[in-house]
Amino acid sequence: MDAMTTTMLPDVEVVELDNGFKALLVARGPLPVVASVLWYRVGSRDERTGETGVSHFLEHMMFKGTEAFAKGQIDLQTSKMGGSNNAFTDNDGTAYYFTLAADRWEKALEIEASRMRDCLLDPQEFASEKNVVLEELAMGEDDPWRPLYQATESLLYQVHPYHHPVIGWREDLERLSAQQMRDYYRRNYGPNRAFLVVVGAIDRSRTAQRIRELFGQLPRATEREAPIQEPTQLGERRATLRTPHSVTRLCIGFRTCRMGSRDDYALDVLSHDLGNSKNSRLYRRLVREHELVTEVSVMNETRQDPGSLLILCELRDGVSPAEVERAIREEIHRQQEEGIAKKDRERILAQIRASFLFQDESVLDLAMKLGRFEAGTPAGYRTLADVLPTYESLSQKELRDVAQRYLDFDRAAVVWAVPGDKAAKAGGKPSNAGKPKKAKAAPPAEAAAAAAGKRKAKKKGKRA
Amino acid sequence: MSHPIRLEVAERELGTGLTLMAVRNPGVPTFACAMSLDIRAADEPDDAPGLANLVGECLDEGTRHYDALELAAAAERIGAVMEGNHRGGVVMCPAVAQKDAIALLTEMTLAPQFPGREVRRVQAEILTEIKADEDDPRAVAARRFRKEIYGEHPLGRPTQGTLKGVAKLRPKDLRAFHDEWFRPAGGLVAAAGPDDPEKMLDRMEKAFRGFKGKAQKHISPPGVDLPATGRDAHLPMAREQVHVFLGHLGIRRTHPDFYVLSVMDHVLGTGPGFTSRCSRKLRDEQGLCYAVSAGIAASAGEEPGMFTAYIGTSPEHRQRAIDGFLEEIRRIRHEPVSAQELQDVKDYLTGSFVFGLERNSNLAAYAIRARRFGLGYDYLQRYPDIIRAITVEQVRAAAERHLHPEKLVVVSAGAS
Repeated sequence: MDAMTTTMLPDVEVVELDNGFKALLVARGPLPVVASVLWYRVGSRDERTGETGVSHFLEHMMFKGTEAFAKGQIDLQTSKMGGSNNAFTDNDGTAYYFTLAADRWEKALEIEASRMRDCLLDPQEFASEKNVVLEELAMGEDDPWRPLYQATESLLYQVHPYHHPVIGWREDLERLSAQQMRDYYRRNYGPNRAFLVVVGAIDRSRTAQRIRELFGQLPRATEREAPIQEPTQLGERRATLRTPHSVTRLCIGFRTCRMGSRDDYALDVLSHDLGNSKNSRLYRRLVREHELVTEVSVMNETRQDPGSLLILCELRDGVSPAEVERAIREEIHRQQEEGIAKKDRERILAQIRASFLFQDESVLDLAMKLGRFEAGTPAGYRTLADVLPTYESLSQKELRDVAQRYLDFDRAAVVWAVPGDKAAKAGGKPSNAGKPKKAKAAPPAEAAAAAAGKRKAKKKGKRA
Repeated sequence: MSHPIRLEVAERELGTGLTLMAVRNPGVPTFACAMSLDIRAADEPDDAPGLANLVGECLDEGTRHYDALELAAAAERIGAVMEGNHRGGVVMCPAVAQKDAIALLTEMTLAPQFPGREVRRVQAEILTEIKADEDDPRAVAARRFRKEIYGEHPLGRPTQGTLKGVAKLRPKDLRAFHDEWFRPAGGLVAAAGPDDPEKMLDRMEKAFRGFKGKAQKHISPPGVDLPATGRDAHLPMAREQVHVFLGHLGIRRTHPDFYVLSVMDHVLGTGPGFTSRCSRKLRDEQGLCYAVSAGIAASAGEEPGMFTAYIGTSPEHRQRAIDGFLEEIRRIRHEPVSAQELQDVKDYLTGSFVFGLERNSNLAAYAIRARRFGLGYDYLQRYPDIIRAITVEQVRAAAERHLHPEKLVVVSAGAS
């Protein structure tokens, strides 16, 4: 698998400016296309009490005009150049991205430099876009999975800002003022809180020069405040949501570790073994052998601060919830006792290696992969050089230890969504106001859906 | 993109009528292979809605040489992702594993056994999904909209089938459908990867050598036409939003107006960001929604597609949104688009299509599309010129010919 190993850490030129801005440049062909991702280390965790949702709302406003690009111009110019743009917000960061033809992509740099400090945040536009964000929130409230996901996260995090939804609480959003957003923008958006990734058919020295010209003089923002530590959870937390849906769903969450830690790699392997293929424990037991659920998925969502591992499933008609929960507990217990057999580990590692390789097919996916590691791990993008060796070095004992340490029901959140009269109002996580898919080994969406044995990929959305 | 894109494509038609295609993509050491047989909507019996879908879903539930878990494990061991569908399936993998991946795709698509227990389980899963869709106002509205447009035409049926229809399907029905319709004549298999296309074709030919069978005669679907007048239906559900679909019958992919309508769509309702008239007006200016679109070309296929405008909004905005769509539909029929709008769309379309060529799965799908609709493999070279030649008057005339505001079907579901 030499070809795979070499593509994990491409040849990256790093540009660092005095004001704290950093750019990662990767030249690659053969198609004449370029992707740029400007990643801010500013996400919903940076929001203060009463201003939840401002990060994601600001992400919308960043397309509504700057000093240099009037309202509508960012989309129009991108489109005229045959490109596309979009953005997403998650708990830890916000990323803005362009894909453009190689002979005109530098316009993206001008746009990003302009909106880093000079976004207009016009009050009229703010009022109009607030309606759009509230519609997006309503869309999430109608989704059967999002309130369930959010309720689980809110139980797992009681003190840390991961407690609140990325899209924000409706009550905060309705009251949020343009001035509050302006203050938030001034406080957090600046070159020292962001980095840029450019991948594609570029001239690296010319690109580096242009980055210095455009970003070199921008003033710094306030440094990020120290994270709040979530106290140790003392017992299992449970909730039941009464929903207008006729299907019963379950989400079990465990608080885990930081992205890029050794335990994170072990959790990736353990989640594959638990639920992400037809041969996984939960799929075999719950879907195939006992025919209790129609689908099950397991997500290892590590973040900058300890993240979560989530198990989601949808029950078949007439199945007892207690039986499903008991089966999941037993399978987790079995994994903690048995670990993962060598042949299963090899099969899972082949899947993980391939999922990284698939991410190299497009310039945008490769740029996102670099961005995720730069943003989320202490060693930044360089972590990519160690990713596959780390997965491969995990011992049987280590996997068992990690499973025992984190998948502990005394520190779990268990949330049921059951058919009922009341509509759940638990808020929601918007489709693009979420994490960049999975923390690390993220296959393409269709591949992920297929790997999970699902018939339908979960709904996805986009900013624009 | 100013320079034309030249793809290295090779094609080989086997004596059985199966056409193999291979596209060279030197970028990344990955590989994809997709099969799309000549199976049409009308080939599914009228009294078995959901049969074709269930066949596709069960292809990987046990084959001649593997049970379902063994087949999945064999794919996972080589880092492959494989999925069946009602016309065949697709496999993606690291390029070093392509030979094994093609063998697995062949096994899954040509030698499924449809074991009773597995079929019953998948059937129950689909029934739960249909039930879950009945909870989803967007799915409810989309399903009813399709039925209103196509009536008794097979495309009017929900792809997954109905609760009643799916429940009565038996493994023997799946086997019979597979025996009857999974045949090589008119079928297409396309691969994309870093290797020489002729070498890829050699591998595929070897793998599909045993795929034999006489061509089947397709059943002609009943005709489908525009309704005499428009109609409006609302299905109330206790939700936050209402999902509104509005439109009518569309065009086939081979219709000569296809490209002009693609341009029209981008001006009207599918342009990126807020560049289209509908998204600019209904989302950006009026803040009525998060999701909005309107277009006719994307659904064009072997059978006529649909002109569909969609918005998810709060119930108090329902009529305002419908009026907004109507105003824009009437405007684009009567008023020529501005030269600048047209140029902006041309710039976008002629520049953006290259991004569809990065992934091998997209390249394989492209080859299949090019062959099925007779576009020619030089289509990508010609595409920019086709788009550049379109005039303002052609857009207006095509809009007038293909958009019918007086015959719109409006279906909504959700909050009232």
